[in-house]
Amino acid sequence: MELEGTQILHATPQAVWQALFDRAILEQAIPGCESLEQKSETEFAAVVRLKVGPVSARFQGEVTLTELEPFSACTLSGKGSGGIAGFAKGTARITLVAEGDVTVLSYRAEAAVGGKLAALGNRLIKATAQKLAGEFFAAFGALLPEEAGGDTGPEDAGEKRRETGGCGAVSRAGGPQIAGNGRTS
Amino acid sequence: MTMAPDTTAFIGQPHRRQNALRHLAGRGRFTTDLVLPRMVHAAFVRSPVARGQILAVDVEQASQAPGVICVLTAADLNPLCMPWVGTLDHFARMASPPQNILAETHVVWAGQPVVMVIASSRAQAEDACELVVVEIEDQEPVVDGAAALALGADTASPGLASNLCYETVLETADVDAAFAKAACVVDGEFSFGRHTAVTLEPRAVVADFDPSTGQLTVHQGTQTPYQFQDVYARHFGLNEGQVRVIAADVGGSFGMKLHVYHEEMATVAASKLLGRPVRFVADRLESFLSDIHARDHKVRARMAVDANGIITAMEVDDLTQIGAFSAYPRTSAAEGNQVIRLMGGPYRMQDYRGRLSVVFQNKVQTSQYRAVGHPIACAVTEVLVDGVAEALGQDPLDLRVRNVVPDDAYPHTSATGYQFEKLSHQACLARLRQMMGYETLRAEQALLRKTGIYRGIGIAPFIEITNPGAAFYGVGGARISAQDGAIVKLTPSGDVQCMISVTEQGQGTETIIAQIVGEQLGVSPERVKVITGDTDTTPVGGATWACRGAGIGGETALRAGRKLRDQILAIAAAVLQSEVVDLRLADASVIDAHTGAVRLSLAEIGRIATYRPDTLPSGTDNSLTAAQHYAPSGFPFAFTNGVQASHVEVDVETGLVKLLKHWVVEDCGRIINPLLVDEQIRGGVVQGLGAALFEECLYDEEGQLTNGSLAEYLVPMACEMPDIVIGHVETPTLDTILGAKGVGEAGTAAAGAAAMNAVNDALLPFKARLMQTPMTPARILAALGHV
Repeated sequence: MELEGTQILHATPQAVWQALFDRAILEQAIPGCESLEQKSETEFAAVVRLKVGPVSARFQGEVTLTELEPFSACTLSGKGSGGIAGFAKGTARITLVAEGDVTVLSYRAEAAVGGKLAALGNRLIKATAQKLAGEFFAAFGALLPEEAGGDTGPEDAGEKRRETGGCGAVSRAGGPQIAGNGRTS
Repeated sequence: MTMAPDTTAFIGQPHRRQNALRHLAGRGRFTTDLVLPRMVHAAFVRSPVARGQILAVDVEQASQAPGVICVLTAADLNPLCMPWVGTLDHFARMASPPQNILAETHVVWAGQPVVMVIASSRAQAEDACELVVVEIEDQEPVVDGAAALALGADTASPGLASNLCYETVLETADVDAAFAKAACVVDGEFSFGRHTAVTLEPRAVVADFDPSTGQLTVHQGTQTPYQFQDVYARHFGLNEGQVRVIAADVGGSFGMKLHVYHEEMATVAASKLLGRPVRFVADRLESFLSDIHARDHKVRARMAVDANGIITAMEVDDLTQIGAFSAYPRTSAAEGNQVIRLMGGPYRMQDYRGRLSVVFQNKVQTSQYRAVGHPIACAVTEVLVDGVAEALGQDPLDLRVRNVVPDDAYPHTSATGYQFEKLSHQACLARLRQMMGYETLRAEQALLRKTGIYRGIGIAPFIEITNPGAAFYGVGGARISAQDGAIVKLTPSGDVQCMISVTEQGQGTETIIAQIVGEQLGVSPERVKVITGDTDTTPVGGATWACRGAGIGGETALRAGRKLRDQILAIAAAVLQSEVVDLRLADASVIDAHTGAVRLSLAEIGRIATYRPDTLPSGTDNSLTAAQHYAPSGFPFAFTNGVQASHVEVDVETGLVKLLKHWVVEDCGRIINPLLVDEQIRGGVVQGLGAALFEECLYDEEGQLTNGSLAEYLVPMACEMPDIVIGHVETPTLDTILGAKGVGEAGTAAAGAAAMNAVNDALLPFKARLMQTPMTPARILAALGHV
């Protein structure tokens, strides 16, 4: 299963890059995140509670950042186990490009699910994955420090944006892709 | 001598299903509805990966969860059960790994049960399942059958020498010569997707072991209670007489509910362990994951014809992928075995070579499902026949008329070794031509093509195996009854009850048994109560599968009815000081065979024999109960035949197929109940069309089922189905008094083949041809070169 999308973030690539490694921001941005532990500079352990269709599960997973090209690209790979619900694993290549005063973040992910989650069907999984990605980037964008800087903490920034109804991210995620024989790849 | 007019002919009448009213009133007695005192509920933790090694199982937290009675692993349950192996002796050198209840060291398909949780409610059991931690090191699964056969390929299960479960070759001496001198050879590569039964009521079992008596009672939605009585007794070390299997109402079965599953065995084992009733009912997701799947065949085939357009030979190579092990006790090789033997069945074809390879892979098991092997053999044969017609520029219906075994050429033995007593292909084809208005449809098709409307007509003659004797399983060492039994009794008030081993899953078995017994005893079917599905109250028998309910069960009922009739007449003769030959039964009475005058009511016979046997002449046997068993003899199977036709319109821009109409002409021998025969055919056709156009269990390359819900898996819906017009030719079998053959699988046998030929006929102007099911819009567009 492939997922891809583009987000416009109102911050510099440097600020986005730093936020991608910021445990506190990630913990708030990841939908359903119960805990996020930074085990090293590039390794995180997460517990995430998710509901996919009729299946809800607590995923325990690990995320590693590799192939780092500071301020422009990195690869996230992870694997999570949801017990009876099954598992999910995948990698995502993230690239950051500055365009004027915004940063365009693009991601291209290759994901596989197993167990009950897989049996639910790709359409549901993919729709959920796209929704979660949208939620993540919306929250992530909102948590980014404003380029005007100041010492506003991420939480405050988030509050502020929510108050003003602003949305830090605009989703342009691609729709599901159907391969030739009716199977979703 | 003049005979009284027969007012009690019930065989052949369109009686409605007797249990339909009860179901309509919400009075069904399904295993799913059953509640027993102290009953607890089971849920399973299943492997999320298709192949892997179990490193650790932690049930600590789950054991503490609310409502949990116990959490059971392989170490708890497997020692209670003797492992089972899905092989049969007559499949030479067949191999399959032994199975036990829960996975011990390895998992071999995604969905395999690893841990069983027993709780006070299913919801609590499911919640506790979430707390079980199973650590599995996943391994690359074996998913593709051809790759699985490569030298050095990983095996789907540990302990297997290779992924080959079984292989066989069937050939005539002159097959190569026939191809060498053929005027024309057509070939094809076919792929038949996996699909599954999707019964309205999922698999359901309530096992109730009483430690104080050693009695095990299993309420189970199955079509074969006696087979499960035997399985549970042998595998759990119980006395057979103390194992009772009750199959009350069953919400659809279609072959899917006669296989041994891990969950049912686990439920019995847990009840034995706990000494209380344990219930397992599969949810829909579990059904998709763990019910047997059907088909999954890849077939390469070619057909030779001579200069006159007569089919001379076929050569077929069937590779069937069956999952990680062969199903028990009927195996997963039986379908492939039938595929290669049914090829070319309706035709005079002299020579044949069929090769079968049955291959393991890390998916759920495939096994017998309605019309075992028939849809594959029929589609391959009939698509090739249409190919021949196209190559020779002949009309497909005319070509078939010239090639079928003539109606006066029986008995006949096929190139694959099947023996046919008497079939009626020519009569059926003639009837079909007239019923569908073939020439008019062809003219309309040609006219519409000019306006850009692409319609197709597909024809598919078929044969169907029914009334099997011991040849199917018994000879291979399986303890599956090849005979059936019935007990018929007259109550003291003159009503009739029949306890019989064939079973009812909604098709109306009980109704036809009532008609048959009623006719023998001169009692209307409404006054005949038929009791099925309980190993404690009915005689032992094979029950309902392979279209044996009417042909074998019906003959058993007929003979039991006649036995009781003779007993009644003997008592009546004694009472009336008359001769048996001068008496008959009709209108619930003993009548004068010559004048029809009523001599004595059955109620009076019942009264005298029960309450005043002292008034009978000395030595009169007052028995009003008769038991009779019957095993088919004569031909190994009672083959039926028929022909189906499909009329479709294909939208060549979207790939959507509209089913316009479907015709079936069927010869199932003597028709016991025309209403129910037609219902069987219609239901069968819909199932065949489902597989041809909609239904497929999809897996990804990791061996994960990816459409395990009714949101993703397409079943045929009423709005998509065409009108199904049915005609009959009746050629009774002379092997039985009744003369009935089976009909339950006929619809499924050829519907898909007819639809495939119809779609390809519609696509003929584009030189596009599909040989893969289901024929989805995407595949049709791909065949058209649009995607």
